[in-house]
Amino acid sequence: MFEGPVQRLIDELGRLPGIGQKTAQRLAFHLVTVDDADARRLGQAVLDMRDQVGFCSRCFNVAAAEECAICRDPRRDTSIVCVVERPQDIVVVERTQEFRGRYHVLGGALSPIHGVGPGQLHIDELKQRIPDEGITEIIAATNPTVEGDTTAMYLAREFKPAGVKVTRLASGLPVGGDLDYADELTLGRALVGRSEL
Amino acid sequence: MVIRWVTLADIRSYRALEWHPDPTVNLLVGPNGAGKTNLMEAIGYLPSLRSFRGVPDDGLISYEADSGVIRAGLGWGDNGHLVEIEIFRNRSRRVQVDRHRLRRASDLGEVIRTVTFLPEDVDLIKRGPGRRRDLLDEVAVQLWPVSALDQSEFAKALRQRNAFLKQRERDEVTLGVWDARLAQSAGRVLSRRVRAMELLQPEMERAYRDISTSDIHVDIEYRAEWVDKTDPTIPAGVYEKALADALLGTRHRDMERRLTLVGPHRDDPVLLLDGHDSRVHGSQGEQRTYALAIRLATQRVITEFVGVPPVLLLDDVFSELDRDRAHALAELLPDTQTFISSARPEDVPVTGREWRSHDGSVT
Ligand SMILES: Nc1ncnc2c1ncn2[C@@H]1O[C@H](COP(=O)(O)OP(=O)(O)OP(=O)(O)O)[C@@H](O)[C@H]1O
Ligand SMILES: [Mg+2]
Ligand SMILES: [Zn+2]
Repeated sequence: MFEGPVQRLIDELGRLPGIGQKTAQRLAFHLVTVDDADARRLGQAVLDMRDQVGFCSRCFNVAAAEECAICRDPRRDTSIVCVVERPQDIVVVERTQEFRGRYHVLGGALSPIHGVGPGQLHIDELKQRIPDEGITEIIAATNPTVEGDTTAMYLAREFKPAGVKVTRLASGLPVGGDLDYADELTLGRALVGRSEL
Repeated sequence: MVIRWVTLADIRSYRALEWHPDPTVNLLVGPNGAGKTNLMEAIGYLPSLRSFRGVPDDGLISYEADSGVIRAGLGWGDNGHLVEIEIFRNRSRRVQVDRHRLRRASDLGEVIRTVTFLPEDVDLIKRGPGRRRDLLDEVAVQLWPVSALDQSEFAKALRQRNAFLKQRERDEVTLGVWDARLAQSAGRVLSRRVRAMELLQPEMERAYRDISTSDIHVDIEYRAEWVDKTDPTIPAGVYEKALADALLGTRHRDMERRLTLVGPHRDDPVLLLDGHDSRVHGSQGEQRTYALAIRLATQRVITEFVGVPPVLLLDDVFSELDRDRAHALAELLPDTQTFISSARPEDVPVTGREWRSHDGSVT
C-alpha cells in the first residue's frame, strides 16, 4: 500500500503483540519523520538486544550473560524457587517486592491442544536444580488458567515425592487471565497467602 | 430492566438503525425476510454475546461490511448502562460497558438479562440431551454469572484431556492432572445445574398447569453415569471426587477410544411428564406446552432470584401455537419489557406498540 520500505516496517510492527494495523501505521510514519539519530538508536537497540541477550542457563530468564542478574545475585534465597510460564512474568512478581528467592521459567504451560507436554517445558532442568541448589519450596506461579492450574498440579505430583513443598498463589487473582493482569498489591497478597498443593 | 434504545451499524440487514422501543410491549411486524429476527437476535446478543440462531459472530455482520456494532442504552439514571459491542470478521469482538472494557464476558450478564422464546424451543424436548444441558447451563449463568467461567473452564479442560488422549505418548502423571482439573470444573458445573433444576422445577410445574389447565406432574430427572445422586445440598467437592473416581474407572476405555466418555458433557437431564420421558411419551401439543413452560419458568426464576424481571424476546412463537395455547401464553406474559415478532400480527393476541420492520428500518 505504501512505499516498499515503509510498508515493510508497518508489516513488521503489526506482527508485534498488541499492535494492530492502525497503530503500526502510526508508529511507522512517526519513525519516518523523527530525527535520523532517534530512529537509528531504536534500530541499534533491537540489534544489540538480539546480539547480547539470551536465556539464563539456570532459570531461562532473559540474560545478558551466562546467567541472569537474579541468579547472580548472592543475596537471593536459593532454597525457594518461583516457577513461572514466561520471562515477563518474573518482572510482575519482582514488582511486588514480596519474593526473595530465585525463579524458573517453564517456557509455557501444559497444553495437549498445542502439543505441549512436560517434555516441551523446562521441567527436567528444574528437577536438576533441586539437589544442586538445595531447593525446599517451589511456588507454582503459573497463570490462573486451566493450563496454568494443571501445570501447577503436575509440578506438585512430580516434586512432592522428592520432599519439596509445592505451593500455589492464593486465590484472589483474576481467573482466566495472565499473571500480568494482576496488580502488584493483589499479587503480593497472593504470594504471602500461598497454600500448599 | 429496560432497553431504552438500540443502535445497529452493519448488523445483518441493518446498515444503520436507531430505535427507541417502548418500555412495555413491542410488536414487530413485517413480511418474511423483513428483518424481524435479525433485530431480536441483536438484542439477544447483548447479555449472552451469542446469537440465538447458533451462528458464529461473523454471521451477524452485514454481507459487505468487515465489522458491525450493536449499542444499547439500558435503564435510567444511576441504574443506567451503555453497552457497546463491536464485532469483527477476523479478530475477536470488543465489548464495553459504560465505556470501560469488559474484563469477563459473564460480567455483562449482571447488566442485562433476556429470556428468549423460539419456535425451535420444542427441540429441547424432541432432541438429544445436548440442548437440555445447555438450557441448565444457560439458566445457571443468568442466576450466577460466575458459573460461565466454570463452564468455559470445563469445556477447555475437556478439550485438553481429549487432545491428550489422542497423543501418541501418554504418561499417567499428565493424564492424572488433566483428570483432576477436569473433575474440579465438572463438580462446579454439576452443582450449579442441580441448583438451577431445584429452582426451575416448581415454576415449570406451575407454568405447565397454567398453560394446559391440567394437573400434570412435571419434573427433571438428571441422569448421569458418574454420580449416585444429585441434590442441591451436596457440595461441588463431592461431585468432583465422584468424577475423579469415575475417570479412573473408565481410564482404560478412554485410552482406547481416545475420548472422555464420562462427565457432565454426557449427562441427560430428562424432562418428565407424570413420571414419563416427555421426549418419548409426550404428544406434540404436550411437548409445545412443555417448551413454553420451561421459558416461562426461567423468566420467573430469574425475576425471583435477581429481583429484576429479564427482558422477554418472543420470535415468531405465536404462529406455531393453537388458539388456546396462544391465549394462555398471552395471559401469562409477565409485566416486563417484551419484544414479540410475527409475520401475521392477527396470530398475536397481545396488545402493545406496533412497529413495522422493512428495508433495514423499524418504524
Ligand atoms: N449478514 C447479513 N447481511 C445482510 N443481510 C442479511 C444477513 N443475514 C441475513 N440477512 C438478510 O436478512 C433477511 C432475513 O431477515 P430476518 O431473518 O430477520 O427476517 P424475518 O423478518 O425474521 O422473517 P421471517 O418472518 O421469515 O422470520 C434476509 O433477507 C437475509 O438476506
Ligand atoms: Mg424471523
Ligand atoms: Zn537465572
